[in-house]
Amino acid sequence: MTEPRKEPGAGPLRVVVDLNRCQGYAQCCYAAPEHFELRGHEVLFYDPTPPAGKQAEIARAVQACPVRAISFDMGSVS
Amino acid sequence: MPHDTLFAEVTDPANRANPYPLYARLREKPVSRQSDGSYVVSTHAAIRSLIFDPRLSSEDLPPSQRPPTGNPFKDWIVNPIKNRVVNAHRPLIFRDPPDHDTLRGIVIEQFTIPRVRGVHREVEGIVGDLIDKVRGRSEICLVEDFSYPLPVMVICRLLGVPEEDEEQFQKWATVLATALEPDSRGDEKQRHATATAFDAISDYMRGLIREKRKNPADDMLSGLANPESGKPAMGDVDLIASAILLLVAGHETTVNLITNGMLTLIRHPQELERLREDPERAPRLIEELLRYEPPVHFRTRKALGDIDIAGITIPAGASIVLLFAAGNRDPARFTDPDRFDPDREDNQHFGFGGGLHYCLGAPLARIETEIALNALVRRLVAPRLLEDPPPYRPGASLRGPEKLGIGIERIA
Repeated sequence: MTEPRKEPGAGPLRVVVDLNRCQGYAQCCYAAPEHFELRGHEVLFYDPTPPAGKQAEIARAVQACPVRAISFDMGSVS
Repeated sequence: MPHDTLFAEVTDPANRANPYPLYARLREKPVSRQSDGSYVVSTHAAIRSLIFDPRLSSEDLPPSQRPPTGNPFKDWIVNPIKNRVVNAHRPLIFRDPPDHDTLRGIVIEQFTIPRVRGVHREVEGIVGDLIDKVRGRSEICLVEDFSYPLPVMVICRLLGVPEEDEEQFQKWATVLATALEPDSRGDEKQRHATATAFDAISDYMRGLIREKRKNPADDMLSGLANPESGKPAMGDVDLIASAILLLVAGHETTVNLITNGMLTLIRHPQELERLREDPERAPRLIEELLRYEPPVHFRTRKALGDIDIAGITIPAGASIVLLFAAGNRDPARFTDPDRFDPDREDNQHFGFGGGLHYCLGAPLARIETEIALNALVRRLVAPRLLEDPPPYRPGASLRGPEKLGIGIERIA
């Protein structure tokens, strides 16, 4: 599920964070600061549809999450 | 060998190169009482449940103790006061809430996202220079030539500590890092050495902070020393302790991650080749490295109350060892755990610990290691180990090679 599909140029990426799992470690915010933001100590705001071309950054955020709360896929929604 | 002496085997330097079979034995009991009265926690599930348990305290260091000087004024007045002050203002790695949370919050304010990400270019520059320096040689020592200087230079620049003074505090950092090794910390000689090194590095930091107040720069120490009005701030003793912690952590941890990384890659040539072909594999590979060969193998805690876990009661006051590196190889959590597999899904490792004390420097370590490993596999042509296993540094917790001799055809 966390494996990004490689074909480039498809629509926007789709990101889902399991907020029940999220512990506020903020590692995603360092990895992809434009798309993840921790407000206060616990509340995570994130961009559910980051633009295509940002997959390297988002993949870093996915990998860096200590509780593996982030999943993403290339959006091929029609 | 009975379970209650297994941890003594872990701390025995003879087993440093491969402690993993011992960890497998320890995992037969998720929590095992050792003959010295401590409790070793070695399965992934047990570590995960205890890491969030407020009954575990990080304030488990023996009291700071300065060596006798023969000068009665120092021995009866100055040093007892120093001991008390230092004991009350331990660095945040040895503190519990609420003090820990306050201090960590203040430090994190300085560990800003732009500042951490801003080191990218600097790390690339340092990495390039360090590799250029070994051009023409057919053998290098990765630790000395590369993985030690890199994180040290990065933390110095980030904190605002002059790199020229590095030689001075390198020795202090090594002494202070042994405070994380439980087998030596109770020893009186070690406590004297720790206190002496702490005082020396404190004096150095005090001077530097004075300087940062006179001439603030764009670095973490300047930020900590000159807090914005209305924002939480820490007193000078806590400030010095925090600065020392960051400096020591920068000296003693990332070096292991980078060295273990190259060691593991050379032992798995296919993975080395795949990384060379696709640098985007690095983030995932580094997470696997943090599971497979973590830079910090365990941390200790103290039980504040009786804790029932896995059919055993850890009594109040007992010392607890959270054996992260054993949890990382737990077959109940990871398929084929002894296999280095950068394509592993769902890699929920303890390479940076977990819970309240989760490594503050994790984002920095990831950036440094990614740039370092990508450059090393690209530029070291036909690397081979001159000695396998390599000699290890003494620490069982902060575990990593002392030297890593690598033979190369040339530098690309």
